[in-house]
Amino acid sequence: MKMDAENDRYKKMVEILRKSKPDLTQQEEIQNEVIRRIQRESQKFSGVSDFIEPLFGWVYIGWVRRSLIGVAVILVAVFVYQQAFIFKQVKNISKQVVITDNETAPASSSLLDKRLTLYKISTRLSPGGEIKISESQLEELLNSYNDLQVKYKDLLRIIEDNPELKNYIENKLNQEKKYKPDI
Amino acid sequence: MFLFTFLLKSRLIYKYFTTLVEKELIEECRNGDLHNFRKVVEKTTPMIFSVAFRILGDEDAARDIVQDTMVTIWQKLSRIKTAETYKTWAYRIAVNKCYDQLRKQKRQKENRYNDQTWAIISNHISEEGITELENKENAQIINLLTNKLSNKQKAVFILSELEEVPAGEIAKITGMNRSAVKANLYYARKNIESLLQKYL
Repeated sequence: MKMDAENDRYKKMVEILRKSKPDLTQQEEIQNEVIRRIQRESQKFSGVSDFIEPLFGWVYIGWVRRSLIGVAVILVAVFVYQQAFIFKQVKNISKQVVITDNETAPASSSLLDKRLTLYKISTRLSPGGEIKISESQLEELLNSYNDLQVKYKDLLRIIEDNPELKNYIENKLNQEKKYKPDI
Repeated sequence: MFLFTFLLKSRLIYKYFTTLVEKELIEECRNGDLHNFRKVVEKTTPMIFSVAFRILGDEDAARDIVQDTMVTIWQKLSRIKTAETYKTWAYRIAVNKCYDQLRKQKRQKENRYNDQTWAIISNHISEEGITELENKENAQIINLLTNKLSNKQKAVFILSELEEVPAGEIAKITGMNRSAVKANLYYARKNIESLLQKYL
């Protein structure tokens, strides 16, 4: 009897609660907020998902998809680092100063030739920092080198024109050779 | 008799048609159609609000759960295998969010209106017919009756007794097996019955 009363009270209470559906007011407001939130979040991630979906959209298991994305990102990062490293090395090699004889300015070089030689050398200066000279210093060096070459050629011409002077110089050079110790 | 059969048939046709429309809507939303998702939100929101309100006993918290659940549904809609499982799946997301919310509210709210609430319950039970409760009274009564229940017992009681969800579906929603669902419902019922016996 007591059990029945308990059961009845329970049934009645449950019936009341079941019939009393919670009243959702301002449903439109909730719907608008949901759509706003979705639009905000899709704008945030659209760039990334547009890129990821075509590549990994075929993987339906979440953790497999995340692992694949992780591995792909690592591989791309390694590739980029490797390329950057190789590019840097190649750039360093190209900057090494390699000057051959025919690249030096000729004695009778014009201003254009001189500038060209200067450019060739300045672009090949080593970035290692062993020698650092300014462009004006380099130009000064080249000028003095060219002057020296011109003077040397003039001197040779004068010697060739004067046989006495030539003999005298040759004798002097021979004597010098005799006294010079062998190295 | 003919009229009864006609009405029954038309009701079944309507139900079938409604299900089809929902299925089509969900299929379109799975392909990223946000315009149609608004219709899905319109249809799903009352169902989610009802279960969240009854589990949490708080209107504002239930509204937040509705929003969070709908956003999660949109984000994960492409992952459900078929549109038929949509309702169970939506319930599952909502119930899990309610569990999280209940865990956050570690300290149970002290019910200062116990006597007043028992008086309301007594009045309603002794009445001849059934009068629908307003949200505030509804929340007070559910909170009072389910205060001593575990989160699982509370969810099972609300889904089974108030939302009238079949046991098999509750098992899928809560992740329990059928016998666990029945056991939880049994303990919830016993607890509420003993409360009613004690205070009325």
